[in-house]
Amino acid sequence: MSKKIFLDYKRCIGCKACEVACEMTHGEARIRVFEFPDLFTVPFNCRHCEKAPCMNVCPTGALFRDEDGAVAFDPLKCIGCLMCAVACPFGVPKLDEENKIMDKCDLCADRRAEGLLPACVSACPTEALKFGEINEILWNREGKVVANLKGSAEKGEGEKAYLVL
Amino acid sequence: MAEKLVPVVCPWCSVGCRFYAVSVNGYIRRIEFDYDHPTVNRGKLCPKGVASYQFINSSKRLKKPLKRVGEKGEGKFEEISWSEAYRIIAEKIKEIKETYGPEAIAFLGSEKITFEENYLVHKLSKAIGTNHLDFPGRYCQYSNAPARTAVFGSAPATNPFEDVAKAELIVIWGHNPAETAPVFFGQYIEKAVLDNGAEMVVIDPRETRGHKYASIHLKPYPGTDLAIALAMLNVVISEELYDKEFVNERTTGFEELKEAVKEYTPEWAEKISGVPAEDIRKVARLIATKRMALLVNEGLNQHVNGFEFALALANLIAITGNIGKEGVWSGVFPGAQCGFCAAMSGIAPNKLPTGKLVTDEAARAELERLWGFKIPDWVGLDLTSMIREMGNKIKMMYIVGGNIAKSAPNSRWVQEQLKKLDFLVVQDIFLTETAKYADIVLPAAAWFEKTGTAISAERRVQRTYKAANPPGEAKPDWLILVELAKELGLGEYFKYEHPDEILREINSVIPMFKGATPEYLTEHPEGCFFPCTEPGEGTKVLFKKGFKTADGKAHLQPVKWREPPEMPDEEYPLWLTNFRQVGHWHTGTMSFESPSLKKRWPEEYVMINPKDAEKYGIKSGDLVKVETRRGSVLVRAEVTEHVREGVIAMPNHWNINVLTLEVTHEKTKMAELKAVAARVRKVEE
Ligand code: SF4
Ligand code: SF4
Ligand code: SF4
Repeated sequence: MSKKIFLDYKRCIGCKACEVACEMTHGEARIRVFEFPDLFTVPFNCRHCEKAPCMNVCPTGALFRDEDGAVAFDPLKCIGCLMCAVACPFGVPKLDEENKIMDKCDLCADRRAEGLLPACVSACPTEALKFGEINEILWNREGKVVANLKGSAEKGEGEKAYLVL
Repeated sequence: MAEKLVPVVCPWCSVGCRFYAVSVNGYIRRIEFDYDHPTVNRGKLCPKGVASYQFINSSKRLKKPLKRVGEKGEGKFEEISWSEAYRIIAEKIKEIKETYGPEAIAFLGSEKITFEENYLVHKLSKAIGTNHLDFPGRYCQYSNAPARTAVFGSAPATNPFEDVAKAELIVIWGHNPAETAPVFFGQYIEKAVLDNGAEMVVIDPRETRGHKYASIHLKPYPGTDLAIALAMLNVVISEELYDKEFVNERTTGFEELKEAVKEYTPEWAEKISGVPAEDIRKVARLIATKRMALLVNEGLNQHVNGFEFALALANLIAITGNIGKEGVWSGVFPGAQCGFCAAMSGIAPNKLPTGKLVTDEAARAELERLWGFKIPDWVGLDLTSMIREMGNKIKMMYIVGGNIAKSAPNSRWVQEQLKKLDFLVVQDIFLTETAKYADIVLPAAAWFEKTGTAISAERRVQRTYKAANPPGEAKPDWLILVELAKELGLGEYFKYEHPDEILREINSVIPMFKGATPEYLTEHPEGCFFPCTEPGEGTKVLFKKGFKTADGKAHLQPVKWREPPEMPDEEYPLWLTNFRQVGHWHTGTMSFESPSLKKRWPEEYVMINPKDAEKYGIKSGDLVKVETRRGSVLVRAEVTEHVREGVIAMPNHWNINVLTLEVTHEKTKMAELKAVAARVRKVEE
């Protein structure tokens, strides 16, 4: 059972509500919306990897996996050695220069403890960000894609099928 | 002290999103999303909504009444007491009334204050004896609103947003809801296209965030959309694609319309607009055969020929039968959360709050009976005419929450005109560009610092509550108006101690809002759809049976091509248009004071097509001078394919109106804010 944020790029309109929501919750945005010249936008945050390289190399145990499966972070243990940043294939952990420790997305541990959705997901007006049991989200997505494929095939517009992604 | 979750309506756009302001000891500590109620936004917010309490904590908030000590526009003031401020204003009003008569005084209501407060602005202006009453919304929906009123008898949205999600065709024309109303876009438009298989067409000289969902994109020159709409009418009629049953049973004037548009072929429109004739045909056929949500906004409204364009579109909606049923959508889309609050309380030079005309003697008499004082019977001036008459017919202005020194066309001219007033009062939360010209500035409480009613674009009437204390001595706008009325000796007509009492009066004065009582709205946070004539009786879909015209039919209007007042020429060879950004709002008085927004959307710039950029030797990042016959601004260039050749475009939150044109439409008084002739050149740094 692993809860994740799934990024449905196709729905994103680059409004940055996710960035602002994260910034207002944590002081610094831990999610970033990347904009490309063709107007395509990609929100990106910590992947909370199942085999998290950052967690494996953290010498102090500041990074740990919590009960929802998030790669969470204990600021009191962090020594700011940057090992997690070195190991992360995406460049997610950043240095908090003021506090001399690392800063990364913890899937809004405090909000989850209160039964709330992560801030970025709560805000996202398009549902480009979805939070939940990851396989449930993926089954729903697969079901929808297949239903659309069938619909398009029936209407004889095979080439439209990929548009639902 | 414990946190309190105070339910509020968002203070920016007109989607009407709800959330909680988390209040501790009279301060807002943060916001929390409302996933508890059946809200229009389903818990979601855009970046402005999320950051929306930041500006109320800005150190630049006005805290004391101010009296000007420097030159007009200089921004030098001294603090005075409320009693002195009221005394000075009351004396001035008396003096001007005695010298020139009440018709030398003009009032502006606002799309930023509550329904109750707009109602009081209206009532106070009439009690003082003037009908010079308008609001900055004059530059917002005042093409589409009068056009739809002419055709259908009423302008507001025909359907709730949920019907947009059910449409088969989404036409976005001169509108960019992915940036200006993101929650509406995400929760309704995207659902139609991505989940329910609707087709999307975009008509815009720019490519915008929503474009990736569109199958067809028409890119007209700004201000030439009317030609395309006329050609579409021509196609739908000549190809006999119109809804014959609907036209026969529910409209009048079809033959005149047919005659009027018979020359406007798509080939003719191609020459004017630069849009291929075949594409115009394709879209016209889609509109005629699918259930359509037609989403238009300032790209339609803010043109001198916007009225004719809006008439053409209303005709098109009617002859294709895209109205009066579920699964379609059309209507005005105010830019502000309370645009309807001003419009529906009759903030206009010719209206009573009941929506009837000031010249209607019976309507006046009825209101005089309810209000207890005489109401002037003459038609006042619209906003641009007020500006033109400053120092001449208009000696004094009382502006509540509007920033015309920046938002009205040709800002330099407006600023010069403002100096000619004998007396200017501005009531606002910041010392805006306009307030700098005021003689007296009154510090108002912001949204979140007062209770009141808001009305959204889908006609949803909702209550918002006080979550914070105003800073210093700032007071809610309604209270300022009540106290000033008292000072003017009009206290007996303004006996309100709480916004609830004002709303109750509205319930009895404006029939359309009879059911929107404080009690009903408190119990139902999702609000009601006006017309709500009894508590619990909202009207979700309009015109199912008849239209609001005298005979209940849609009155088709013959329309002719009308050129924009200024077209590119040798001296000024480019079209200049403008657009809104998701992180800012209007003239930025509030959003520039929101650090999370200002940081992400830091400055203005000009979009220029690579072909034009090459012609003028401009590269991305260059400092350039954008110039029109009114003035010039220095900005950075962004060379991009996302604006069509021949057109340059700038965000409209900064200095765009230095460049726009104050020429207005003779009937609607809409100015030319979206299409003017310009030139651009690189500036050496
Ligand atoms: S889950 Fe929370 S911490 Fe992570 S990006 Fe979203 S808002 Fe930021
Ligand atoms: S809030 Fe959603 S739509 Fe907006 S930028 Fe973030 S992911 Fe994209
Ligand atoms: S979409 Fe409009 S109403 Fe909703 S949060 Fe954004 S600005 Fe506020």
